[in-house]
Amino acid sequence: MSAVTLVNLLLNGLIEGAVIALPALALTLVMAIARFPQASTGDLATLGAYVGIGGQALAVAAGISASMTSMAVASLGAALAGAVVSVLAWRLIFLRLTRAPMVASLLAAIGLAFLLRSLITLVVGHDQRTFALPLVRAWNWGGVRLLPSDLVIACTALAILAAVFAWLRFSRSGRLLRALADNADLARLSGIRTRALMWRLWAVAGALSGVGGVLLGVKSVVMPELGWELLLPAFAAMILGGIGSPVGAVAGALLLGVGQEISVQWVGPSYKIVVSFVVLLVVLLIRPAGLFGRPEAIR
Amino acid sequence: MDAYLVAVFTVVLIYALLAIGLNLQYGESGLINFGHVAFFALGAYASALTALAGWPLPLSFALGAFVAAVSAIPVGLAALRLREDYLAIVTLGFSESVRLVLQQEREITLGVQGVPGIPKLFGSLGPRLTDWAILGALLIAVAMAAWAAHWLKNSPFGRLLRAIRDNEAAVVAVGKDPAIFKIQVFMFGAALAGLSGAFYAHFLTFISPEQFVPLVTFYVWMSIILGGIGSLRGALAGTLLLVAFLEGSRFIRDIFPGIAEVQMASVRLALVGLAIIVFVLWRPQGLFGTVQR
Amino acid sequence: MPQQLRRQLLITPMAAALSTGAVSAMAQSAAPSFRIGALNPITGAGSPYGPGMQRAILMAAEEVNAAGGAGGRRLEVFAEDTQTKPDAAVLAAKKLIDVNKVQAVLGTWASGVSLAVIPLTDQADLIQMNVSGAPAISTLDKKDLVWRFQATNDRFGAAFCEIAVKRGFKRPATMAFNNASGIGNTEGFKKAWEKRGGKVVANIVYEPNRPSYRSELQKVLAEKPDVIVTGSYLPDTTIILREWFQSGEKTAWIIPGWAANPDLVKALGPEVCEGIISVDTVSAENAPAFKHFDAMYTKAMGRSALTNVYAPMAYDMAISLALAMEAAGPGASVAQINAKIREVSNPGGEPVSTFAEGKAKLAARQKINYEGASSKLDFDQYGDVSPDFGVYVIEKGQLVRRDIVAIPADYRP
Repeated sequence: MSAVTLVNLLLNGLIEGAVIALPALALTLVMAIARFPQASTGDLATLGAYVGIGGQALAVAAGISASMTSMAVASLGAALAGAVVSVLAWRLIFLRLTRAPMVASLLAAIGLAFLLRSLITLVVGHDQRTFALPLVRAWNWGGVRLLPSDLVIACTALAILAAVFAWLRFSRSGRLLRALADNADLARLSGIRTRALMWRLWAVAGALSGVGGVLLGVKSVVMPELGWELLLPAFAAMILGGIGSPVGAVAGALLLGVGQEISVQWVGPSYKIVVSFVVLLVVLLIRPAGLFGRPEAIR
Repeated sequence: MDAYLVAVFTVVLIYALLAIGLNLQYGESGLINFGHVAFFALGAYASALTALAGWPLPLSFALGAFVAAVSAIPVGLAALRLREDYLAIVTLGFSESVRLVLQQEREITLGVQGVPGIPKLFGSLGPRLTDWAILGALLIAVAMAAWAAHWLKNSPFGRLLRAIRDNEAAVVAVGKDPAIFKIQVFMFGAALAGLSGAFYAHFLTFISPEQFVPLVTFYVWMSIILGGIGSLRGALAGTLLLVAFLEGSRFIRDIFPGIAEVQMASVRLALVGLAIIVFVLWRPQGLFGTVQR
Repeated sequence: MPQQLRRQLLITPMAAALSTGAVSAMAQSAAPSFRIGALNPITGAGSPYGPGMQRAILMAAEEVNAAGGAGGRRLEVFAEDTQTKPDAAVLAAKKLIDVNKVQAVLGTWASGVSLAVIPLTDQADLIQMNVSGAPAISTLDKKDLVWRFQATNDRFGAAFCEIAVKRGFKRPATMAFNNASGIGNTEGFKKAWEKRGGKVVANIVYEPNRPSYRSELQKVLAEKPDVIVTGSYLPDTTIILREWFQSGEKTAWIIPGWAANPDLVKALGPEVCEGIISVDTVSAENAPAFKHFDAMYTKAMGRSALTNVYAPMAYDMAISLALAMEAAGPGASVAQINAKIREVSNPGGEPVSTFAEGKAKLAARQKINYEGASSKLDFDQYGDVSPDFGVYVIEKGQLVRRDIVAIPADYRP
């Protein structure tokens, strides 16, 4: 395999990984704090994608022709929609299940996923939609190709991830959330008002999912099953990186993306998914808590 | 109407076998298995392919259960090394890998085209009797599986398992190796899934890799959560409830005739989702689960 | 979008009244009815096509009933969703057969679904009509009750091959969606191509539902093909073509008509789609039956039937069935009706393009040949259509028919 091919595959993998990183981060945040797999993350992404389509259409109709601006409007709308629905879901459903077993929340999340998807199809139908973006030829440096749109996607993802990291690290809520993740009981004992924190968490997770949906939709096509399909890779990324580690979720997503793409040369497109699971298994056997997870038990 | 109900109950019982197995695996050995559909698939394919090659059906069915049980060994071994939360995705990866192998190895499995013309169980009895006979055979299988699960729980073996679950260190201190027992339970659950797969194949008469997707595993998990984890009655009741949600929603049109045909599918899914959410909020521990303290 | 919803809501009362036949008091006292089960993929992989197919069957039934019914009976349609999954389809079929007591099951799309449902309809001696491509369906059809309104995968492949040869391509490659139909089409092409002594330079199979197919595309393009033949669907075709265009490589494309349709042009724009060859069995956009159907379909769905090649096929299913019922006369059994299907569709009669026309001619004791909206509808001994293939080239964002390719009815790979 030539160096050019390798670099191309690397780039492909990084872009795909960048897109998965957002929902993976959302998953790991909720998992760390609320302690259950948020299975409707995928359908929140689908919601975000559709809201994004609508948002862009509105922006264009309002006279905004520059694609960067209309996409910014679209992404903002998606983030907002994701955040709102996520917070509502927490308030109406998951808050009441705090004392219930984890599987109850998981099941409720699956029910919510179904509900979201069906409401979307009821309103907009099953047809595919695409973002109205001009098609530009890729930059080509001696065979190494990079799409401008992919670069924008990657930069957007990076920027959003950086923002969330900064929030977690430096803001008051972020630090309190990390304390909550470390030791929920101790945190509560020391008087941290959890409710105010929680809605921020759910809003951030929802916004991440929503924008993730837009990015994915820009790259591919927007269909009702869009989000459900990215659940599995997002979960795998979260696990690989270590549950509860935001850095881990992103690293996991990138690693899996790159690993899959490079493996296509040897195992072919169908088995590349198997490769990610083998990678995951191997890493977990060596480091049972994932790449950046903490060694002691979470529960 | 009765042939339709017989078909629905057949599906209920197929899922019940899956649920009993999964419930055992999680409830007794604590292993979070999100790859249950893999055992289902292996049982279905093993039985279907050998039956088409001329094997007598009882033998094919037995092979289906056997293959599933054997395939559970590497998964079980890996499971022991991995932590709870992490096991889920690895087992899911396992089931997806199995599905992809079934899909790609066309020489053996006929790949994406699927395997048509699988001999129907009791097919020689004629249309009406065949369906009832299949239902009857499944009832017996489920009854036996339930009895075996019950025996397992209350036997010394079962007590040992609970001891392992509650205090593994103590068990090790007494000189017993917990791993062997966990693996055995895991294999038994897998065997049940394999048997269920065989029934499925010889009921549907057509199988293809795309039928063995993770969603099937999720449905089984949903059943046991609805019914209450760890409870055998729960596994059965939960399966019934889930299929009632999924199939019952089909008849919504009779209640809401104003819905356009095309929207029916979305309405059904919405109602299923809503029903699940409402149920969980009302009874988070499941029908027969106990409220945790 | 809102327009479409509005139109759908208009049709709703009509469709609902038709489908909840058992509930409506009218049905009980009116003329005897023939019950049709519309079993389509409303959700799942076939969801781009299923709703249109369902609507087409409903429209056909409305049309037939408005013309006074067929064989003295009105058509009653019961619709269910296969979810594009064989096990869900089996339960749906059982419900239709057992609860709704349908006498024909129309419109299954995925090969797996048809293969699972046919044993049930055969067992109940019902007519089954599908648009699936798998060869196994022909052999499963032991009682001659199964009618395939879509060319088999092998025939499609042979058509692709003809087209590639005619246009002078020498180095074809294939890209197939990893399912029975996608692979069936490209393998059909490969078989036909190799039969002529040629070699296919690359055969790539890609997985469904991926966000990007860049690496798969790179693998194909590395072999420098002059044309890529696909067995693909709309969403993945959109992604692949977008990535191909942006890569800057030059190559021609031959794509099945259900993927290369006006929706594709809408998604990608005329520049990307310029020169793409789209192949399907729509008889001719000028054909009277298609025009007649397209007018109704566009009004009901808000878009042309060109966006869903399966909708005309579903429409034809119901119309052919109705014409066969008319030819078999009042009170005919399912078997008798089934026996008339070839009679009203195959060559050797007066060409007709609507139900009303056919009914009138049958009343005048003439033999008819229904030339359908989807194809000429000439059924071979397996009950499969052996249609002509329209070769459409996308020019300036429009699909323009440039050629017709005929594959002999007895073609075997």
